[in-house]
Amino acid sequence: MDVLNAINLSKSFGTEKVIDGLTFSVPEGSIFGFIGKNGAGKTTTMKMALGLIPADGGEIAVCGERVAFGRTDANRHIGYLPDVPEFYGYMRPKEYLKLCGEITGMDSTRIKARSDELLCLVGLSDANKKIGGFSRGMKQRLGIVQALLNEPKLLICDEPTSALDPVGRKEILGILRQVKDRTTVIFSTHILSDVERICDRIAVLDKGKIALSGTLAELRAQYRADEFVVEFATMEENNQFSALIKPTEQTETSATFRTRDMRGTQARVLAILSQNDLLPLRLEVIEPTIENLFMEVIL
Amino acid sequence: MSAYLAFTKKELIESVRTYKLLVLLGVFLLLGMMSPLFAKFMPEILKSVDFGGMELTAPEPTAMDSWTQFFKNVGQIGLLALVIASAGIMANELSKGTLVNILTKGMKRHTVILSKLTVAALIWAASYMLCLAAAYGYTAYFWDMGELRHRFLAFFSPWLLGLFLIQLLILGGTLFKTFIGSLMLTGGVVVAMSLLNIIPKLQRYNPISLCGDNTALMTGVKDVSDFLPAAIICALLVVMLTAASVVAFDRKQM
Amino acid sequence: MEELIKYLPLLIPYAAIELGLLAAALIHIFTHKTYRKGNRALWVILSFVQIIGPVLYFAIGRNDE
Repeated sequence: MDVLNAINLSKSFGTEKVIDGLTFSVPEGSIFGFIGKNGAGKTTTMKMALGLIPADGGEIAVCGERVAFGRTDANRHIGYLPDVPEFYGYMRPKEYLKLCGEITGMDSTRIKARSDELLCLVGLSDANKKIGGFSRGMKQRLGIVQALLNEPKLLICDEPTSALDPVGRKEILGILRQVKDRTTVIFSTHILSDVERICDRIAVLDKGKIALSGTLAELRAQYRADEFVVEFATMEENNQFSALIKPTEQTETSATFRTRDMRGTQARVLAILSQNDLLPLRLEVIEPTIENLFMEVIL
Repeated sequence: MSAYLAFTKKELIESVRTYKLLVLLGVFLLLGMMSPLFAKFMPEILKSVDFGGMELTAPEPTAMDSWTQFFKNVGQIGLLALVIASAGIMANELSKGTLVNILTKGMKRHTVILSKLTVAALIWAASYMLCLAAAYGYTAYFWDMGELRHRFLAFFSPWLLGLFLIQLLILGGTLFKTFIGSLMLTGGVVVAMSLLNIIPKLQRYNPISLCGDNTALMTGVKDVSDFLPAAIICALLVVMLTAASVVAFDRKQM
Repeated sequence: MEELIKYLPLLIPYAAIELGLLAAALIHIFTHKTYRKGNRALWVILSFVQIIGPVLYFAIGRNDE
């Protein structure tokens, strides 16, 4: 079943069309990486899914319930972590979570139990000062706690790691991975290494549309334009080799092949090397990274 | 309902921890004591100041002078303090973004408005009653109070005007998302109503006159019919402004 | 003058609250380093404005971050 369905969504700010016929869905139980350059419309799409801003056209449904701007009904399925979560600075974490829990109609024993459990998960059990004195990273972690408090079916995180240092990022990613058993996670980012670390599905947003989407494994197989590099000790050897077989790219001492048919290319290269008694310094197959895919798709 | 209660409780905690409640109670208690004291000692003060040999004598003050001071102080410094202390009611949350977490929890937008109005109205009522109690006590101590006609309407009217200003601040904050925007809208409406009040025929319909010549109502110089239309219009405006705020907030992009 | 002394018990609460408001504002100003608007010098001066000064500080200047 799909937790989120967007069909033919569009949105303009002034004359600029930010989202243009966007269609995608997020299946239950996935960690869905929503990738795009800064300003690609990731936040806009998420806010439309939450009914915080209106869509110009198309529709979004969360758990089968259609989202309407200004109405908050569909939000009961969702936990949302904004890019910069803002809290009431005069409250302590537990007071704030009590407020959040009461708004969603949780009873006080469950609020207490969930708060303790989640605060422990994010490592804020001992943070009992007012939220006004929290650091950026602490606020981000408290943001995850408030988003997960009522065990939503869907967790939407807007750039949860962008503003954090490497340690903080690793912690947040670890937390997201831990919650995936019970909650579907959508998170937007422009940090591709984060995506490779935890996502099982991605969608790349470019020019208001999905430029690429699928599971990571599918995409890797589909876009298997792997690179094969042959490096020689001298320029002469390289020139001799490259004259016999046309590489995709040639530098002073190395030749690079970019191909879908890795086996065939490798066989031809090895045959030529042995026939001409050429000995390379290095032979290497370079696997495609999400970064390569990303560049290939949006450039 | 549970969301309304939870958010109302949050608003109360907020008014205590941001010192809003303390400051308003303090200010209005001060104004309540100030009015009779000022009326009582004015002749003394005039006597003690040397106006270059010119003798200024004031008539012996009465309870009504105290009440005149009371309505003047509440209507000027009092409402100004109320407006400044309440101008951030919607604006602070919208400019900072603190409502995003709350709304994405499924809280209805109109509940936010109603909750804020409830708590602001309660705080204003508590502050105003403290002010009134202090003024009443001091006045009764200094003078024979005499008969106060239509005292409920006379004392209730300023509270209603204050409620109108609070709801204007909520609408302004919702529309403009800023403290200044909230203040400007309210200030603009007050200036417009004050200008309209120059026309004598319109005074009885003008909410701004609800905190002005209230002493005349108590002495019988003015009648209920000089205040009631303005009070009814003011109450209707509060309801309309609340509805307008709800509609405006429903259409606000967050 | 005689009158003033006679009514002193009634004047003391007034002065106490007036000073209380001023003290509350000044204590908050000096125990916090940052302000949403303005700076320390401005708020110290403004808090001495009768009644409205403390109101302004707590509404506009106070920052609890």
